[in-house]
Amino acid sequence: MSHPPALKLSNICKRYGPVTALHSVDLTLNKHEILGLVGENGAGKSTMISVINGTVRPTEGTLAVNGEEFTFGHTAEAGRVGVATVFQEQGLIGNLPVYENILLGRESEFSRLGIRNRAAMVRLTQEVLDDLGLDISPYAITGNLTFGQRQLVEIAKAFALGRIYPVDPIILLDEPTSALSDKETQIFFDLIRKWRGKASIIFISHHLSDVFEVCDSVVALRDGTVNGRWPIEEATPDILHEAIVGRKRSAGYYKETEQREELGEVVLDVQDVSIPGEIHDITFEVRAGEIVGVAGVLGSGKTDLGKVITGEKRQGTGSVRVNGVTLKPGSRASALEADVGSIPSERNVAGVIGMHSIEWNLTLPALKNFKMGNTPFLSSKAQAETTDWWIDRLKVKTPSRAVLISNMSGGNAQKVVFAKWLARGVKVFVLDDPCRGLDVGAKEEIYILLRELAREGVAIVLISDNLPEVIGLSNRILVLRSGIISAEIPAPIHSKPSETSVVSRMV
Amino acid sequence: MSVTQSGTPAPASKFSTWFFANTATIYPLLVILALVVMFAIMNPYFATFNNFTNIGRQSSVLLIVALAGTMVIMIGSIDLSVGSTVTLAGVLAAMAMDTVGPVGAVFAGVGVGAFIGLINGGIMLTLKVPSFLVTLGMLSILTGITNTICNGQSILFNDLSLNSFVNSSPIFGIPNIIFIALITAAILVFMSFKTVVGRHLFAIGGGEIVAANAGVPVNRTKIYAFMLCGGLAGLGGVVLAAQVGAGSPTGIPTILLDSIAAIVMGGTALSGGVGGPQRTILGAMVIAILSNGMDVTGVSSFTQQIVKGAVIILAVASTIDRRKYPFIK
Repeated sequence: MSHPPALKLSNICKRYGPVTALHSVDLTLNKHEILGLVGENGAGKSTMISVINGTVRPTEGTLAVNGEEFTFGHTAEAGRVGVATVFQEQGLIGNLPVYENILLGRESEFSRLGIRNRAAMVRLTQEVLDDLGLDISPYAITGNLTFGQRQLVEIAKAFALGRIYPVDPIILLDEPTSALSDKETQIFFDLIRKWRGKASIIFISHHLSDVFEVCDSVVALRDGTVNGRWPIEEATPDILHEAIVGRKRSAGYYKETEQREELGEVVLDVQDVSIPGEIHDITFEVRAGEIVGVAGVLGSGKTDLGKVITGEKRQGTGSVRVNGVTLKPGSRASALEADVGSIPSERNVAGVIGMHSIEWNLTLPALKNFKMGNTPFLSSKAQAETTDWWIDRLKVKTPSRAVLISNMSGGNAQKVVFAKWLARGVKVFVLDDPCRGLDVGAKEEIYILLRELAREGVAIVLISDNLPEVIGLSNRILVLRSGIISAEIPAPIHSKPSETSVVSRMV
Repeated sequence: MSVTQSGTPAPASKFSTWFFANTATIYPLLVILALVVMFAIMNPYFATFNNFTNIGRQSSVLLIVALAGTMVIMIGSIDLSVGSTVTLAGVLAAMAMDTVGPVGAVFAGVGVGAFIGLINGGIMLTLKVPSFLVTLGMLSILTGITNTICNGQSILFNDLSLNSFVNSSPIFGIPNIIFIALITAAILVFMSFKTVVGRHLFAIGGGEIVAANAGVPVNRTKIYAFMLCGGLAGLGGVVLAAQVGAGSPTGIPTILLDSIAAIVMGGTALSGGVGGPQRTILGAMVIAILSNGMDVTGVSSFTQQIVKGAVIILAVASTIDRRKYPFIK
């Protein structure tokens, strides 16, 4: 190798009190390499990114950029040598225009005597956006863009570094595609390919298919250590799966063979539901034990449809009936009376209260069931027993029911969201991207759980951006395009539709 | 990083584990202990039974009003009109004392307070005005109403049965006013943790969208919180009028800021969702002991203001678990 590696981590350790997040990690990112980084939630991926970009100081170990050793104390220093991060949770400020976000923290490069040269900032931003083929105005207010567009702005922000500083950027992508639609994901992959040879990239993803599509090599992390590195030609999904989870991938990832073929009575009956400008004349039924997948690109109306069923959004016309009872439009209380549970896509905003314990989160939807006899008072014992039972049942990894949700990994927190509805009891379950941001191990446990719920006769509506998941899990798939059902595709156990046949009806 | 993942736990004694898990409760206790020891050394009279009942007498109304504010701060809102509610309710109770009797006076004061809370909450929800601004306006409105009623004069009353009840000390020589405040606190602590409504208050403060999704009647519960706050502030006003034997048009001028300081020092975050009335008891004790201790040791009232402000800032700075706050604004 004629060049020193773009990035070399030697013996990096990071401890948080008693918890060790990284155990003597060695990692080399070669110049202009695209390196995939895979691992379960809590394996240490995000900590590693934080060490590299300077938000976290390692407890031990050294970091070298282009052969030169660095100790970053601040993200700005990391930025000066070309390290840029695209975060999983977006780091953009909504009320600023795009160009200010793209050059945030770099204003001093455009300033003289404290006066910013706004024109130069806009010019550079425009160049970067043009270069990346993005049709976004530098003046657009970031908060008014769609989620997908904002993610692309975030990526443009990383590429802008390469123009400001005379260095090849080292770009850290932390699950950049998890919130993108398929079309946007493709644009994004094209961008990465275009920049091959101009940037060195670490790409974190839970979608192994993404890693295979763009990376040169792949590294698996498990429990804070590197658990293998392969050139992409030598890696297979099974090898990676085993390295990530620590056990072999079980046959039938989506538990297709457990899919119910004998279905019960109609439980959920959606008739001609419309919201002007969002969704139009949606009609479908879901039977007891059936999983109906809802596929569609961002903006297809699939999230709105879910919210109409759960009573979080009011439809203009049409009705939703559960076991023959018509729900009051836009009333969460009415939907709850009919036992409609909801797993929202934004877990930390709508699913769990981070500052509260597992117990408090889990008992919230069913508090009335924990009263002592006929008194208005809650029984501590009943709450504790129920919580412990569900922790055990869903294998939530935690030392106690009193642990705060904010101290738990995403997979475990999501199990608590499921448990809070299961503890209450549901007949209809609307899931909006239930596995978003979860690692393969946690996903698999959720899939097993969904099969069990179906066996028990719950009617499930599965809204997801993850097509293999929708196809693998569902009995039937509704494809939404511009707010209308463009296709209804059956997906029985032995003849699952192909991804392309579903995608063709989405766009 | 998850605490649940495998890792090498550092050897930690049971005491240090317990200590760090409960710092929010332990710090105010340590502050109280330090203050008591310090004032007792400076003036032995401070640590006498007689003086402790004095502290209780002086701070009972503060505790009741701080508990009132806690109910609203728990849901992440704020009520700036508690002080002016105390004053108005005190004046109205004083007027009711001779017309409808002491029991009627209690109902009048608490009822007026609860009604003010209903208006505060109702305006906040229907007109979507932040509680800070609604109650700031209400503060001014109530002050104006009180002054119109009193015309600057205290309202005196002849039926002193409530006055003597509040100030007498039949049990262990402890004045009844202290029991009134402590029983109120006990009921609220119980309500917060052992009833559905209490847990709903925490849930709304912790995450309103999560609460709504789980079927918590968010708006109704918010109204309850404001009515409870107003009603308790009204009770504070009645107790104050009974204690001094008159309805004063100025009430207790420092009570709004003192009560908020007590709530925050206790450990209820202004953003809501954590803390609760049990914490407020400790916060109110810090303020009460500080004021009384400085009186007893002869600190001038101007110096007292400076010291009190500094202690509030220090206490909050050392109580807050900063790891939980990525940004401070």
